[in-house]
Amino acid sequence: MEMCADCLISVRNLKKYFNNGTIKALDDVSVDINKGDVMVVIGPSGSGKSTLLRSLNLTEEPTDGSIVFDGVDITSKKIPNEKGKMVKLDIDKHRQKMGMVFQHFNLFPHMTILDNMILAPVKVKHMSKTEAKEKALSLLQRVGLEDRADAYPIQLSGGQKQRVAIVRALMMEPQVMLFDEPTSALDPEMVGEVLSVMKELAQSGMTMVVVTHEMGFAREVGNRVLFMDEGKLLEEGTPGEIFGSPKHPRLQDFLSKVL
Amino acid sequence: MGNLITASGFEKSFQYIEHFKHGLIVTVLLAFFTVIFGFILGILLAIARMSDIRPFRFLSIDRNGRLRGKGFLLTLSKFNPISFLATCYVEVIRSTPVLVQIMIIYYGVFRLIKLPNVTLLGFLKFQRFFPGVVALSMNSAAYLCEIIRSGIQSIDGGQTEAARSLGLSKGKTMFHIILPQALRNILPAIANEFVVIIKESAIAYTIGVPDLMSAVNDVRGAASIIMEPLLIATAVYFCLCFPTSKLIAYFERRMSRGNVR
Repeated sequence: MEMCADCLISVRNLKKYFNNGTIKALDDVSVDINKGDVMVVIGPSGSGKSTLLRSLNLTEEPTDGSIVFDGVDITSKKIPNEKGKMVKLDIDKHRQKMGMVFQHFNLFPHMTILDNMILAPVKVKHMSKTEAKEKALSLLQRVGLEDRADAYPIQLSGGQKQRVAIVRALMMEPQVMLFDEPTSALDPEMVGEVLSVMKELAQSGMTMVVVTHEMGFAREVGNRVLFMDEGKLLEEGTPGEIFGSPKHPRLQDFLSKVL
Repeated sequence: MGNLITASGFEKSFQYIEHFKHGLIVTVLLAFFTVIFGFILGILLAIARMSDIRPFRFLSIDRNGRLRGKGFLLTLSKFNPISFLATCYVEVIRSTPVLVQIMIIYYGVFRLIKLPNVTLLGFLKFQRFFPGVVALSMNSAAYLCEIIRSGIQSIDGGQTEAARSLGLSKGKTMFHIILPQALRNILPAIANEFVVIIKESAIAYTIGVPDLMSAVNDVRGAASIIMEPLLIATAVYFCLCFPTSKLIAYFERRMSRGNVR
């Protein structure tokens, strides 16, 4: 596979082994993510889809392979700077450009919703507190939570927490949003409110990579669907192709069980 | 044999009230300095134990630039000498009696290191007080290190992941996210350790520090009574420890207000 020049993220031969290679969480995965893509990754539990997503911002360090994000191979420890000198790769800089939403929300329990949101912009981007607060409130308004700005995470429902987690990531104005099973820990009646925020985000043109079990979301919002099993990328296509005419027998089997 | 505890016994004890006063001051000073030095040393030990200093890290990559899967060189590449030494220190301290430690410090270490012959407050010999503080600090630091370390490690890994994914550095994640939560979780254990320090400081009388216990000994030697001065010392220790633990419990409640997990 050639390197993709104008992709936002280009993943090549990504491998992640555990226990000296006896467990292959990712087994030679290559995929390109274009600007504006809403890429949905589906597959059974333990298929490596979360590992793939977590590798994209190096929350999980891959064993081998490369991830080129915004023109930089973030798996290399040293990269050339503007003057061509080799310098240590500053992964924090790249992570700022990638938002991540977790299954268990991971809001900071000792801070209010507002403080959760302004922490990174103020401490990392050195935005002024007033500016950050203004921005946070307008984002909270967008997800219908402006009245909960001074609440603590414990006082929010699961769906509200996840909506806050999404806008917290948006505060850094990322180029791509990574979602790691964002609705799996939610009560069924709260899934809808989170999915609708994600749908709105997709419609606004945000590049998104979503690991999920919500087939309805994959079909309706995604423009590309990946099917993974046992660490391998088995099939890739549009939602129409994946759900309409699945080719791989493993995918046919999987869909017959979940649909 | 007369009664075990008599009113006249207390009367006699109170003739030595100056000894008890000095003893109280010494016990408080001893505990105070031990808490400060012990906590500082404990934090340093915890940082050392959790550090990621691996001088042989380069051995984890083979000639072709790939991570080694197994082998002696991989094990060696993971070796962290700072953490190893800190762990050894903690385990040795926790596995030996504080009485032995304080004796070794006083009769061993401070036989080699000469301290100035100074008397503090007119009755407290620096040459005895300082080794006491050093020994007790070294002892409590080992316990505080483990409390701090367990507190930091008890914070869910998702917190670090979330902070790092927002672009916060390791240090900022520790300072803004992990430590505030860890500190709140370990406050009861730290309070307990501080109370233990006050009580354990009694052992310093074995190297001649004139603390509360040594006041008891003075009365016993001079007036041949033991239970009465012991009961006085008991009351004084209780009045020191009980309010301390209550005070910390109060701060603990205030800190957790509104933001329990």
